[in-house]
Formats: sequence, structure tokens, C-alpha cells
Amino acid sequence: MSKLITIPSSIDEVNETKTLVDGYIIGIKDMCVNSNFNIEDLSILNEFSDKDIFINLNKNILESEIDKVREILIDLNNYNIKGVLFYDIGILNIYNKLNLKYDLIISQEHALTNTATVNYWCANGIKCAYLSSDITINEVSEIKKSSDCKVMVNLFGYLPMFVSRRHIVKNYLDYFKLDDNSSINYIEKEGAIYPIIDNNVGTQVYSGNILNGIKYSLINLDYIVLNSFNIDLDKFIDVIKMFISVNEKNILEYDDKINNMFPNVDYGFLERKTIYKVGK
Amino acid sequence: MKKPELLAPAGDLERLKIALIYGADAVYIGGPLLNLRANAINFSLDEIKEGVEFAHKLNKKVYVTVNIMLHKDEIKVLKNYLKELEKCHVDAIIVSDPSVIDCALKYTNLEIHLSTQTSTINSEAVLFWKNKGISRVVLGRECEKKDIESIINKTGMEIETFIHGAMCAGYSGRCVMSNFLTNRDANRGGCSQICRWNFNLYNEDKQEIKGDMPFTFCSKDLSMYKYIPDMIEMGISSFKIEGRMRSIYYIATVVSTYRHIIDEYINNKDNYEYNKEYEEILNRVANRDSIPQFFNGVYDYNASYYNGRMEVSNQDFLGIIINYDEKNRLATIEERNYFKKGDIVEIFGPNHDTITHKIDKIYDEDNNMIDVVRHPKQVVKIPINNSIEKYDMMRIKSIDKA
Repeated sequence: MSKLITIPSSIDEVNETKTLVDGYIIGIKDMCVNSNFNIEDLSILNEFSDKDIFINLNKNILESEIDKVREILIDLNNYNIKGVLFYDIGILNIYNKLNLKYDLIISQEHALTNTATVNYWCANGIKCAYLSSDITINEVSEIKKSSDCKVMVNLFGYLPMFVSRRHIVKNYLDYFKLDDNSSINYIEKEGAIYPIIDNNVGTQVYSGNILNGIKYSLINLDYIVLNSFNIDLDKFIDVIKMFISVNEKNILEYDDKINNMFPNVDYGFLERKTIYKVGK
Repeated sequence: MKKPELLAPAGDLERLKIALIYGADAVYIGGPLLNLRANAINFSLDEIKEGVEFAHKLNKKVYVTVNIMLHKDEIKVLKNYLKELEKCHVDAIIVSDPSVIDCALKYTNLEIHLSTQTSTINSEAVLFWKNKGISRVVLGRECEKKDIESIINKTGMEIETFIHGAMCAGYSGRCVMSNFLTNRDANRGGCSQICRWNFNLYNEDKQEIKGDMPFTFCSKDLSMYKYIPDMIEMGISSFKIEGRMRSIYYIATVVSTYRHIIDEYINNKDNYEYNKEYEEILNRVANRDSIPQFFNGVYDYNASYYNGRMEVSNQDFLGIIINYDEKNRLATIEERNYFKKGDIVEIFGPNHDTITHKIDKIYDEDNNMIDVVRHPKQVVKIPINNSIEKYDMMRIKSIDKA
């Protein structure tokens, strides 16, 4: 049976959900593309010995950040964590030179799209792969069945669709001499609204719709990930509760419930293949 | 000091030949499968073979991009495709998905270059790939000068960096806005360039924030002409020009200009002087503003492009020389843009200095004298006293217009 883990947005959220979930993915500020947790906050995790705690360091690592990353990886060995999520292959190379007790989870959100790729990483010491959010549920299932790695799969929340080193919102504000101190902005095109974050790491954009994958939650996926980013906490807790109690009988009812809880919900790419050759 | 490779894009066989004739040391192309320009014409296997033979006769190289993120259907064709590329004697493949690396190492002897699509920007990542059979890494365009220097010093790896062309707004490989907004898969060659679209911007209370122009992700293009000497001294192995969809005129102009800059520095380092004329030539062939981007650590609003999609269509390219009759001093030219009797033009080519010429007479294919050439690909003859060559190009005299 899959474990249910969430990407919390605050310590308060961790406290509110700690009796519900099997674990957390905690991003470290400035080392993760969108997170406000500091390393000091991790001390709270020591009380969660029964949970799978993953630390997210999924930013692209600049050459100047290599030493800092090495220190963080060593420091994390002092905490009760299951693993570290990473995007940049530099982290894997540093990890391989250290003798650390936790696992590495590859988290290249758009690059883990087939079994052979997942197995490549598995053969290079990776224990778990956070699969791409732009593949179908059939592809997800096939990777799960035929790879040696454990898999993590997003089944709820806004999905990442853009990461940049550039400060794209700030640049726009600066260029046109506009004032705004929002912690989150939105961009709109043809009625669809996309959350956009400009922080120390750069700029990130998320999908306009919230992924609702509850109807696929009974497939054994090792880890099902629910992301609370930009979601009302009470509603998010209701969603967690549905993912916990879902079964063959109520699965479609819960699917409907979630679809009706939010005005902007879809199934992402779980049921829709992307195309890449147009008009040929 | 090692002379770097000048690496040019080629969208088809004609552009491959033009790039190599105009001074590229190598070209990169897309084959019939698994490359990030799914909607381009791309090369058939026969054309790859022909292109490789053409390049090898000139002692130059051809690299083939196999740089998509594969899904299960593509995995099925991968092994055979790589074996076919090996049979074509390509000099390397450029990859981003590790499944391609694994397959190439197991079943072929192909040399493997790591694509910029992996956004490799630090020495630890480069060292990882060095130990996994990669012979060259194309760095992410987010690297600054000091990063590139450090990576080369710490890894001893063959490093390729971009010197000219369009930029992604995000880290390559980490942008799938195209997937979400148009269902076209950015990491499989379907990118619909959402970064160049206009959006409305809102604050956290969903109130609109409006500048004089709409919000966009669009960045200016990259141009490194001023920094080529620095980049040579840093030990970068290959200088890459972006743009497999670009015209032969663009490729000829950009390649020949960088060829001149590189050679002038290499051949006379102590007395090298930056030639402003090259900047003017490159600026004229471009349709958007360009800057050095991250190289200098500057990626503030000066790197952004807020002119919407008002990209200027370049009309400078007047025609390509398809023959020159040395005895009668008569050039046969295939027209690309309108020109007429009395125009002052420039003819440039890989083997001579740029020639300025006033068009006194124009003959059509039946040797009738005409005054204007206005039909695309119309073949005409023009008397020109200076010796010129096949594949030379005729353009508007830029100095008068600059």
C-alpha cells in the first residue's frame, strides 16, 4: 500500500496534519525552489520518528553553492530523515563521496518519464524516483511495475511547470517602476490563472489547475504526494482525509467531491498524453 | 592556448553546407527521430550520411541531437536509431536523457555530449558525467564567467558554451509551460514558446499590476562577440551558435563573423582589437536585441525583452551566388529579397573580404536586361568585376543603413 506524504507550507500545517500522514517533504529555503523552512526548523522533525521525512533540495546548484550544499548534506545526517530529494546531479556526486545514512531521491520533475531512465538512476545508487508530472497514469504504472526503484507520484495539488534563475516578476516591476511586495503573484492568459513565485532562488510557475488524482490512489505507488501549496488548509486536510479513507466503493464519490471543492481541478496529464509533433 | 571549435546549427543539408563553408568547425543537426525540433524539417538518415561525408571531406564534424526526454514509445526505437546513426559515422550525439546514454554506451561506440537541456551548471555534476562516459558537457546558459572557469579548472572536461542566439527564460528542461498551455511537449521537441507570450500580472490579492507593456517571460537573445577572447583564454572547447531553424543568410553571417573574431584573436593575440563592424553586422542580422546574459552576472530587467513579438523581419539578404563566370565576370544570383539596378550592395563569402558593388546591369535567365528583381528565387545575372564564388551572398550595404 502506498504511503501518503505531503509537501507542507508551514510548521503549523505540519502540526495540523501530523496524525494523518505518513511523512513529509520539507523544502529548505533557498535550496528548494519554493519553500520557507529553515534548517533550524528541522528539529521539530525529531519527534516524528514514525514518519518518513524527506528533505527537498531541488534547486539547480550554482558552482558557488557547492561548498554550502556539501555542508547541508553533512548536517542533514544529524536528523532523523529518510531521504533527500534533489534535482541537480551535482548533489548526487557530492553524496557519493560522503558516507551518509539517508537515501537520495531523484526529483527531476519533467525528466523522469520512462523506466529506462529511472533504472539508470537506480543503478547509480538512487533509491526512489519522484516521477515526472507530465506522463500518463499508464506510464506511471508501467514504471512502477518494471523498475527497481521506489516511486513517488504527485496526486494532488498545483503542479510545477517552470523554474528559472531569473527574477521575472521583479524584473517586470523594476523595469516599469511598479510597486508590489506580494509573496505570490498570478499571471492570467485567456481566463486561466497561474501562480507565480519570485523568490531568492528565481522564478517558479505552477499549473492553473489543481491536480486531482484520487481515483488513481489505490494503485501501489510507494509514495503518493499531496502538495498544499496555494491551497486553503482546511480544504487540504479534507483532501488528506479522503486520500486516507478512499476505497473501491467510494473512490468515484471522492473524486467528485474533490472536483466540486475547487473551481479549477483537472487530472493533469494522468489521462492526457502530451503531443510533440504538430500537423505532420 | 587551444583554438576552440566553432559549432553551428543546421536545419537541413543546405544549411549544413553553408555553415561549414562559412567557417564552422562542426555542425549540430536533428535526425528523423528523438530531437528537440520535432516540427523542423530535420535530416533523413541518407541526408545525415551525405552531410557527414561532406563535413569529413573538409575535416569537420557533425553532431546529431538525440536530446528529448523519452517516453516509453520512444524507448522502443532508441537502440536501432542509435545504431543507424553510428553507421552514418556521426562524430557525436548530443543527449539529455540518461536512458540514451546507457543505450549508446551498451550498443554503440558513439561519442556522447551532454545537452544543455540538462542545465548542468556546476563542477560536481560535470564530474559525475565525466565518470559516466560523457566526453563533453554543454553547460547551462545560466553559468557566469567565474563558474565556467571554475568548472573547467576543477574537471578538465571538454566544455561547450553558447555564444549566440535565443535564450530560454527558464532552466532548460525545467520549463513545461508549453505542455500545460498547449499540450505540446517542450521536452520532446514541441515547445510552443510560451515564454514569448503576453500575460496579465496580478498581485496576491488578485489585483492587476500593469506596466506600459504586458508581462512576459521573454528574454533578450545572447551575443558574446565582445567576450570571445576571454572565452578562448578560459579554455572553453566549443563555441555554440543557437538556431537550427534559422536561414542560410543568418547562419552564413553569424558563422563567418565569429570565425573572423576567433581567428583574428588566435592569430594576433597581442595586437587584437575589438572590431565594432562585426557588432553592426550581427545586430543587423538579428531580429531581437542581444546581450551577454548571465556571463557577466547580469540578469536583471536589462536581460528582459518587453517589445512583445515585434520581431523585425530581416530584408538585408538579397541573393545567393549560385555561379560565377570568371571569364565573363558574370555572377548568377538566386534572389531572396527585392533589389534593383542602381542599388549599392555588399557581397560576402568565406574566402574573401566583403566587396561593395553598385549594380549597373541585371540580366534575366534569357539574357534580357531588366531593372528590378522582385520574385523569390528568381535567377538573374549581374556583371561583377571582383572575383566571387558559389555560395557567396549578396546583402544590402549595411553601413549606409546603420
